[in-house]
Amino acid sequence: MTYKIILSVIFGILFGRFFFPVALAEYVGLLIDLGLCVLLFFVGIDIGKQKNIFFKIKKIGMKVLLVPLMIGIGSILGAMLGGFFLRIPLKEAGAVGAGFGWYSLSAIELSKHSSQLGTLAFVTNVIREVIALMSIPIIAKYIGKLESIAPAGATAMDTTLPVISKATDGSIAIISFITGVVLSTMVPILVPLIMSL
Amino acid sequence: MNILLYFLILMVGAYIGYKDNIKVLIKHAGEVQNYALFFLLLIMGIKIGLDKELVYSFGKIGFQGLILALFSIVFSVLGVKLVAKRLLKEKEQMENDL
Repeated sequence: MTYKIILSVIFGILFGRFFFPVALAEYVGLLIDLGLCVLLFFVGIDIGKQKNIFFKIKKIGMKVLLVPLMIGIGSILGAMLGGFFLRIPLKEAGAVGAGFGWYSLSAIELSKHSSQLGTLAFVTNVIREVIALMSIPIIAKYIGKLESIAPAGATAMDTTLPVISKATDGSIAIISFITGVVLSTMVPILVPLIMSL
Repeated sequence: MNILLYFLILMVGAYIGYKDNIKVLIKHAGEVQNYALFFLLLIMGIKIGLDKELVYSFGKIGFQGLILALFSIVFSVLGVKLVAKRLLKEKEQMENDL
């Protein structure tokens, strides 16, 4: 999956660089919007399919939402601090951090502002997912099981969930899924919101 | 405007997924999601490719991406660490219930 994703982008870049008619460039934004709506609709179906998810949240208690809250705050503030050292505008660095590892959506959303920012969001969040896959077992062992959900961010509900589940236990896996759902829901809201500040 | 639209679309999707009565749609959800994703990534790639200056600055962006990702991860882990103890009680109780 990860290879296919990277290949799609590389193919698109080469196509855009050498073959794509410049006259059609103004329709690229519209195509992005349409594709995004289709994608979000089906992500919604995936979330809705987990029928007992609301029951699970109730059972653990609302305090479980502290996990995605802290990951959200940590990701945005961390990216802002990193952006400060790199001399990237705080707003832009924060919006990239608010991608929470969901590289496709954050990159697509931010590429509306500028291709450069979209690329930075893509690269940052791809690297985040790769580091997450490698560091989750280490964090679970040496820092804490709950903390091992943190690097995953929005991917805690899909791509990194099997790794978290293997490195921890069933209850952490459920918390991980809930965290991923909450953070995924927040990405399309927070990224444009931070940019509009 | 976009934020509300996204949220609405997510909610409509979630409702259909929850109700589970349009089987064809739900059966192929994963597949269509993949195609939509690849299509979007391709378009995004085209948008990047059209921007010549950007293509030449990839090396710099890679380094920036690594720094932003590392800071995000470290602060996320620290953030969860702050609340982990408080949540531990709930987790133990949940394990007893499961």
